[in-house]
Amino acid sequence: MGIRDKLLDFKRRLQDRKMYSIVIVLLGAVAGWGIYQYRHAADLRQELDNQYNRAFYEMVGYVHNVETLLAKSMVSTTTDRTAITLQEAWRQAGLAQTNLGQLPVSQPVLASTSKFLTQVSDLSLSLDNQNIKGKELSDEQYDMVEKLYKYSVSLNESLRALQDDLNAGRLRWGELASKGTKLFSKTKPGEMIKKVEALSETFKDYPTLIYDGPFSDHMTSAEAKGLTGDEITIEQAKEKVKEFFGKDKVEEITDTGKNDNGPIKTYNFDVKLKNASKDQSVHISITQKGGHVNWMLNTRNVTEEKLDMDKAKAAGIKFLKEKGYENMEDTYYLKNDNVATINYAYRQDDVTMYPDLIKLKVALDNGEIVGMEAKSYLSNHTKREIPEPKITVDEARKKINKNMEVYYSGKAFIPTDYKKELFCYEFKGKLNGTDFIVYINAVTGEEEDILVIVNTPNGVLTM
Amino acid sequence: MKSRKAAAVILVIAFVCVCSLIGPDPLFKPGGSFAQGSSISDEQLLARAINGEARGEPYEGQVAVGAVILNRVRDPNFPNTIAGVIYQPGAFTAVNDGQINVPIDPNSTVVKAARDALNGWDPTNGCVYYWNPATATSSWIWSRKIVVKIGKHNFGV
Repeated sequence: MGIRDKLLDFKRRLQDRKMYSIVIVLLGAVAGWGIYQYRHAADLRQELDNQYNRAFYEMVGYVHNVETLLAKSMVSTTTDRTAITLQEAWRQAGLAQTNLGQLPVSQPVLASTSKFLTQVSDLSLSLDNQNIKGKELSDEQYDMVEKLYKYSVSLNESLRALQDDLNAGRLRWGELASKGTKLFSKTKPGEMIKKVEALSETFKDYPTLIYDGPFSDHMTSAEAKGLTGDEITIEQAKEKVKEFFGKDKVEEITDTGKNDNGPIKTYNFDVKLKNASKDQSVHISITQKGGHVNWMLNTRNVTEEKLDMDKAKAAGIKFLKEKGYENMEDTYYLKNDNVATINYAYRQDDVTMYPDLIKLKVALDNGEIVGMEAKSYLSNHTKREIPEPKITVDEARKKINKNMEVYYSGKAFIPTDYKKELFCYEFKGKLNGTDFIVYINAVTGEEEDILVIVNTPNGVLTM
Repeated sequence: MKSRKAAAVILVIAFVCVCSLIGPDPLFKPGGSFAQGSSISDEQLLARAINGEARGEPYEGQVAVGAVILNRVRDPNFPNTIAGVIYQPGAFTAVNDGQINVPIDPNSTVVKAARDALNGWDPTNGCVYYWNPATATSSWIWSRKIVVKIGKHNFGV
């Protein structure tokens, strides 16, 4: 029977009354289902739109507050008053940034606004810390605040224009959020994006800001101090890889390309080891300067745990010595899937250098090193001038809670979020059954940091 | 004749079912539901993001995706928390299409990859973008500088 005949047959059967009613009922059911789905989708769209609006209006409020607070901080003359104002600016800018991240606008459009808010928040906190200690703003810092204030004024203006459009119903967030809403769109596509893009116009000539905070602009360009030695060729790097694993163990080395990003430039390789299982892969990254190992990963599946932690730690120390890293001391560790990830810090004289960190993954079946990460060591390691402490260990001890039972004291350099190192006394102790590490600045006597030690079955964590 | 009618009815019902599957609010969610605890730790969230974005990639590529997410947390242009970065609207396709909720295969290496990324392993050397050249829909992404290629993904800044 051809298609034509089939259609004719179908037409004939449609004339049958019973069939007629069945078709009508079915059509009704499908239409009902369609209406339900449509309304449901409209509800969801509305709900989403409300969330976007909430995020937007909250952000407008916070940005407005930031503007006011920055203005106030420029006027106030006492350090404690400025500290309070900046603290509030830090909080408000952070909240504004959180809400900004929830808007359905692609990241590149909002990047500069996001950076501005992050840096206002970060800078405020950094200046706040300084003000709490009674130090006034320097002229440069004052300039920075003034610049940020000007940007906050123009950001506010752009936001207000956008807010007016939203209030008047000329724009809806949902039209940006998903591709499927074109059908319901009341505005021309692209219009919303244009309006939002106007926000980033504000930051065309945004200056580079350098201050003591993790989001300061100098963070990405910091030079790697531990990268000693000369530039090497890719062939020399391959030799280094062979040396690292042992010449007799390497079967094949595949070049996977250079990585020229950031201060530590590398050659990357895939390595095939002899006796490796099928799904095992080994990757290694060798620095172009000096041929140091930046990181290494070996995905061997470790199925048993035969070594205890002491043996694992010792295996790591032995490995580091063989590779030329002397005076490394294990600090804390984590254990997962029969592999221990152990942190080793460099020790110069009797001072622990926490910025110079190498992480090793030790397989607990045979003590093999299945991972290494030396970025912190390569970034920070150098021979340091250890200053003469201005206070004695006993004086430092008096600065911490009397009730804490101190069972270890020593000296250490600790890293900060902004690549500055602090020379501190380190105290480990117990208070009310919880272990703490307290750092007292050996030069200024200030309490710099407190860490809580969490002992889990999988290892020692600091928080 | 009767059996034909029955067949027609079944066909229509099947059609409705198929429509509901591809409709805006699926009645039957593919992939099953993901068990959500009240507090999902960073490690689990990161593992799920890697699972959604790169479960078919080599191990190095999985760590790299985790590292990109963590690099974004430290970058002022992006939100400052792991959840903020992962759930930023439009940032990751796996979040848009719900792939992030696909349960993690017990034999999968994504949890290990998440852990290594959190411990500081970064095969990308600080990249904050990646894209699959075969499926990337945004032409803007090609304006990024390619730093390294791992598996199917280009990583860039």
